[in-house]
Amino acid sequence: MPVEIPKDKWNGQVRVVTLGATADQGGTRTSTVTVGGETTMPFMHFEGEIPHRPVIALEIKDRRPDDWSSLLLDLWSDKADDPAVWAKAAEEAGADLIQLSLSLTNADGNPTTPEAAVDAVKKVLAATGLPLLVFGPGQADVDNELLVAVAEATKGERLVLGICEDKNYRTIVATAMANDHLVIARCPMDVNLSKQLNILISDMGLPLDRVLMDPTTGALGYGIEYGFSVMERLRMAALQGDAMTQLPMIVTPGFEAWKTKESKVGVDVPESWGDWEQRAINWETITAVALLESGADILVLRHPESLKRVRAAIEDLMTAPETV
Amino acid sequence: MALSGIQIYKMLPQTNCKDCGYPTCLAFAMKLAAKQVELDLCPHVSEESKAQLAESATPPQRLITLKANGNEVKAGNEVVLFRHEKTYYNMPGLFVRIKDDLLADAIKEKVAAADTYSTNYVGIDLVLDGFAVEAVSGSSASFSAAVAAVRAASKKPVILIAQDAGVMAEGLKVLDGEAPLIFGAGAENWEAMADLATQYKAPLTVTGNTLDELADLVEKVKGKGIEDIVLAPATRSLHGELTTRVLIWRLAIKKNFRSLGYPVISVAGDAGDPAKEMVSAAQAISKYAGFVVIDSFAPDFVYPLIVLRQNIYTDPQKPIQVQPGLYEINNPKPTDPVLVTTNFSITYFSVANEIEGSGLPAWLLVADAEGMSVLTAWAAGKFDAERIAKSVKAFDVASKATNRTIVLPGHVAVLSGELEEELPDWNVRVGPREAVDIPAFMKQAMT
Amino acid sequence: MAEHTVKFDQASKPVKVPTGTLLSEAAEQAGISLTQPCGGQGRCGRCAVIVTEGTVRRRSTLRLSSEDVEAGYALACQSVVEGDICVTIPPQDKIERRLTSDRTVAQVKPPASYDASVHQSIRRYRLSLNPPTMDDQTDDWSRLQAALRNQSNIGAVQVSLKLLQKLGQVLRVGDWDATVILDSILWDCPDCPARLIDILPGHVADDVPLWGTAIDIGTTTVSLWLVDLLTGEVKSQVAEYNGQIARGEDVISRIIYASKDGKDTLRELVLETVNGLVETACRRAQILPESIVKTTVAGNSTMIHLLLGIPAESIRLSPFVPVVNHIPALIASEVGILINPEATVDCLPGIASYVGADISAGVLASGMSDTDKITLFLDVGTNGETVLGSSEWLVTCACSAGPAFEGAGMEHGMRATQGAIEEVWINGKTFESSYRVIGNVKPRGLCGSGLITLLAEMFLTGILDKSGKIKLDLNTPLVREGYHGPEYVIAPAEETGVGQDIVITNVDIDNLLRAKAAIYAGFTVLADSVGVPMEAIEQVLIGGSFGKYINVEKAVQIGLLPDMNWDRFQFLGNTSVKGAYLALLDHTLRTKIKSIAAKMTYIELSADNTFFDAFMSALFLPHTDITCFPSVEAAMLTKD
Ligand code: SF4
Ligand code: FES
Repeated sequence: MPVEIPKDKWNGQVRVVTLGATADQGGTRTSTVTVGGETTMPFMHFEGEIPHRPVIALEIKDRRPDDWSSLLLDLWSDKADDPAVWAKAAEEAGADLIQLSLSLTNADGNPTTPEAAVDAVKKVLAATGLPLLVFGPGQADVDNELLVAVAEATKGERLVLGICEDKNYRTIVATAMANDHLVIARCPMDVNLSKQLNILISDMGLPLDRVLMDPTTGALGYGIEYGFSVMERLRMAALQGDAMTQLPMIVTPGFEAWKTKESKVGVDVPESWGDWEQRAINWETITAVALLESGADILVLRHPESLKRVRAAIEDLMTAPETV
Repeated sequence: MALSGIQIYKMLPQTNCKDCGYPTCLAFAMKLAAKQVELDLCPHVSEESKAQLAESATPPQRLITLKANGNEVKAGNEVVLFRHEKTYYNMPGLFVRIKDDLLADAIKEKVAAADTYSTNYVGIDLVLDGFAVEAVSGSSASFSAAVAAVRAASKKPVILIAQDAGVMAEGLKVLDGEAPLIFGAGAENWEAMADLATQYKAPLTVTGNTLDELADLVEKVKGKGIEDIVLAPATRSLHGELTTRVLIWRLAIKKNFRSLGYPVISVAGDAGDPAKEMVSAAQAISKYAGFVVIDSFAPDFVYPLIVLRQNIYTDPQKPIQVQPGLYEINNPKPTDPVLVTTNFSITYFSVANEIEGSGLPAWLLVADAEGMSVLTAWAAGKFDAERIAKSVKAFDVASKATNRTIVLPGHVAVLSGELEEELPDWNVRVGPREAVDIPAFMKQAMT
Repeated sequence: MAEHTVKFDQASKPVKVPTGTLLSEAAEQAGISLTQPCGGQGRCGRCAVIVTEGTVRRRSTLRLSSEDVEAGYALACQSVVEGDICVTIPPQDKIERRLTSDRTVAQVKPPASYDASVHQSIRRYRLSLNPPTMDDQTDDWSRLQAALRNQSNIGAVQVSLKLLQKLGQVLRVGDWDATVILDSILWDCPDCPARLIDILPGHVADDVPLWGTAIDIGTTTVSLWLVDLLTGEVKSQVAEYNGQIARGEDVISRIIYASKDGKDTLRELVLETVNGLVETACRRAQILPESIVKTTVAGNSTMIHLLLGIPAESIRLSPFVPVVNHIPALIASEVGILINPEATVDCLPGIASYVGADISAGVLASGMSDTDKITLFLDVGTNGETVLGSSEWLVTCACSAGPAFEGAGMEHGMRATQGAIEEVWINGKTFESSYRVIGNVKPRGLCGSGLITLLAEMFLTGILDKSGKIKLDLNTPLVREGYHGPEYVIAPAEETGVGQDIVITNVDIDNLLRAKAAIYAGFTVLADSVGVPMEAIEQVLIGGSFGKYINVEKAVQIGLLPDMNWDRFQFLGNTSVKGAYLALLDHTLRTKIKSIAAKMTYIELSADNTFFDAFMSALFLPHTDITCFPSVEAAMLTKD
């Protein structure tokens, strides 16, 4: 009995966004990364286009972090002391992109200066040819100060500046506009807020093909279901033609998973949690896979093993099934 | 096609007699439309309406229940493709696969461990659902011995996997009276398997390489009088499985295509190494499997999966909640203040983000307000001085924040007097109404 | 370049202007100053002129209907001279009327079919009793009853002790002629005997009015109409803020206050307000409060509970059940309303905790329960009640919108009374505002309609971003950092009647945004819950204590009302008091309210996330999903 394949008809498309700029394009990257362009829900090759595969970034910091799990610190060992070395190692581990997260303070506990931030970014840019995402430490005024300096010092690189939130987006958007960079619009797990922020950013005049959105996902066990559904809803809205949701989605399962107790803590946890390292990697991997299934275009991870597993999953999922 | 409340209302007597226990016929109709009540609560419906309504009430995807010794696993009966559209109802059962080439003792050991596995997640004990015994040895004796060993070590529901109907029959004999899931019917063996299913009143899986094959075989098996069917598409890649299950669900739910209106089983254990198996199982849980068979059974493997399942099958219509408790923001010291808010996620996130963004350390006490925002919870009596004081005690806040300064959201400034009475040795302060103003408040008033 | 002659009726000489000159510039040359409240941006429509001869090129006719254009209307700021023309400038009020015709307030006229002898439950009878004699020692009360039976065909009658106490004297003063007032049709007990309300000495003439009041007790505003029950005429309409406001702005605060020993206080406060209004109305009509013999009371369930001193705590606690929805007939002295102590007090029936008698009365007044048209009825008030349906079915919900649209809780909000700014235009270039004030006096504040137009104007002129944040970088002193954060100055102190700048703060705007979002989300979710698409709604009836009108266009621009053809909207004013008025007049309508209340299906919005989602989506200007507001999208495009 021939079964008629039910195809959803979508009339929208996710915007195509290119990260990084090569020398020709006014930057110094040896390659760029392009995401987006989907005309169907994740991996439904039989009814639409998925021109660009989801990509994976590895997150590094401008100095050895104080608050990362020892599993990660041991793994990166002394590479974590130098962002350039770390970036190189991340590239070798298979990352498509590097996310450099700036610290609030330097090792001595003094606030990170704009000069230091610029310095770290430049080092990383010199060490790897991959496109770069630069995240501020997450405090509005510090983010603004550091990111403006970074943006100006790297004009034309098409860096991705993270992150814009509804309370603090104007400065970062303005500097991204002036210096040919991209931004990330982040909202706390709410379809409407995400859309509203995208509208506000676009109202400022930044073309939407220079915006990525981070719907905030939560980790496995810590609200991932909200992130999962918000992403499905955003993607459906995009495909239905809602221009303000047609942005590629960036998610940070590395950050989310590695702040959970399951990943961070190895002792004094229930026996039913099993081996620490395996559990931690599984936690990050499953968080990432669930978000991949719900529409992530860029996944920022922290552990190379998770990267390997998620990469394998992406490769499998990007194959179009021959028969259905 | 599901009927709307108004459409159903037009088929009801419209007398608003309240006999059904609802204030109006329309109220009852809307409950019916939401499938939250049964039609027979209204004693006055005409026969004609009854027939029409029954038609629309048939679920697009058949409910399959595996039972054993009082343990139950359900799959099917889903009504939406995306969880946000309503909710998913029946969590996929997780079954650990036991192959019959294992020695009886090894089987018992593995089964016992999986059988007793339990982990506590947000106050709920999560467990595995059962076992899948697979005939790989080819010998019916080994198979029945393995089934017996499993049954000796666990009382949970079982799936029997065998190609050969003769072997399957031996396994079924061991579980006589239980109705395990027979896995299953393929193009070659379906008649014999269907006979077994009939004989043991057991549900049967149907395998096929394509949707066409699946649907064909389902119809054949149905022709033999089998109603309880589980689909077992033969594809093994992530992309193949995903596409197949998406299409099966779409056909059932959106097209009401009866031949594929059944839950799907996924054998993640076939993926190869545990790393791949994990990804395959995670995909099966997030995307449309009704039963998942895994080989690996290590706690660090099972725990994340079982939590994922819990998360995905949470009802998204319920207000989004965070765990009540005392949260640390920016590494607070005992001298830092305690800010109070409710466990409605958006409220929590906006407050937590603002404090985090202020760079100032603080304790954030999240009180259980049944997932309501500050004002709503206060209005409904779920966020009052008594409840806040209870949280302070329950989470032993006094021992961590020894300075004992507690800050109420500005919207419930009225509670400050009562809270002072409830917490006599605390310094009760009133914070701003809106989260945005928290950093300024903390900078001015708290330092 | 070619020159053309433009002749203005109002100017002494024609002017010559080159092709492409704006009509407004030509007018200026001719020495005529046209009002251009929006700064000549084609948004306000107040610069409309009539081209009586020749033609002009109209760049934009956004504010004109096709009939207007047909009639020669053109916006002076948007029309270009391309030939010789004659122009006349219509008087301002003509433009205004044209623009406000879509926001008509129905005049209160007694229903045409009203016949007191049929519909009114209160009856007045003139009796002539036989004086007692030594032969006829029948007691006074039996004598009166006999007269009622024989002369007016009234059987049994109930009487209170109070009336018996004065009976003997009244009969004798009137020399055995008396006028009795009876409540003859007790709606809650049709078989019960009529009740004696008053007995007056002598014969009261037929043309002496029989007084009643219709009262609406709103959370924020209390309204009272004084009515002649014989003719049905409304003699006086008065309103005042509810005295309870000082104890909490919303029903929840009131309930909590009441539950903490504040029940009596709240009861006294609202009675004070009501009695104050009775007094004012009586003074205006020059009558005594005692001559009021019947009152109907509408109000939300909490207000009715508090008025009657019934504990209201169960209203706010799950599962949200009021103590009583259908209240039996009461008398004024027990309720505490200072009118005739025996007067009937009829509290109209409510539906649920958060949908009260104000809504059942409103539905009656709106007529929606009699029409086949799918109708949306919105009460733009503190509790944001909404009803959807037709004669066939009715669903209702409530969403706490807060009192912003009643002007309460705002820095410079006020009721729609004298001195309230009821409409605002902002010049898109200078950001200066012009406004119209009720009573043409110096402004004292902003009422609901004023706030709606202000919000829309601030949004369209770019003072606000779409999330409702005031932009501080606009380069005008009118936008500034105030004590409560960013604010915009509508009227500087010297222009006002309050001696200080009239401003709107970002906090006010947040309140307005939340109020409009709650109302919009309420009706969209309600419609969705019964599967009625927005397009299927054939008419939108709006109730609420705005002034004379609500500017529908502006209300759509801020996303308070759905974006549909303006002719589908009708503004009904305070429907609650209107419904109470109808029930006061006609006992069959009173019965109808009861059946309306029984038929309405209440939808609890807090049952799941849907409402919150819709609310968040509406918490934007005009809405997160601009495709729901095509006309606003178009207006925004023409702005740029
Ligand atoms: S019992 Fe039937 S007729 Fe009566 S109210 Fe319920 S649905 Fe209507
Ligand atoms: S429309 Fe012409 S001045 Fe406003």
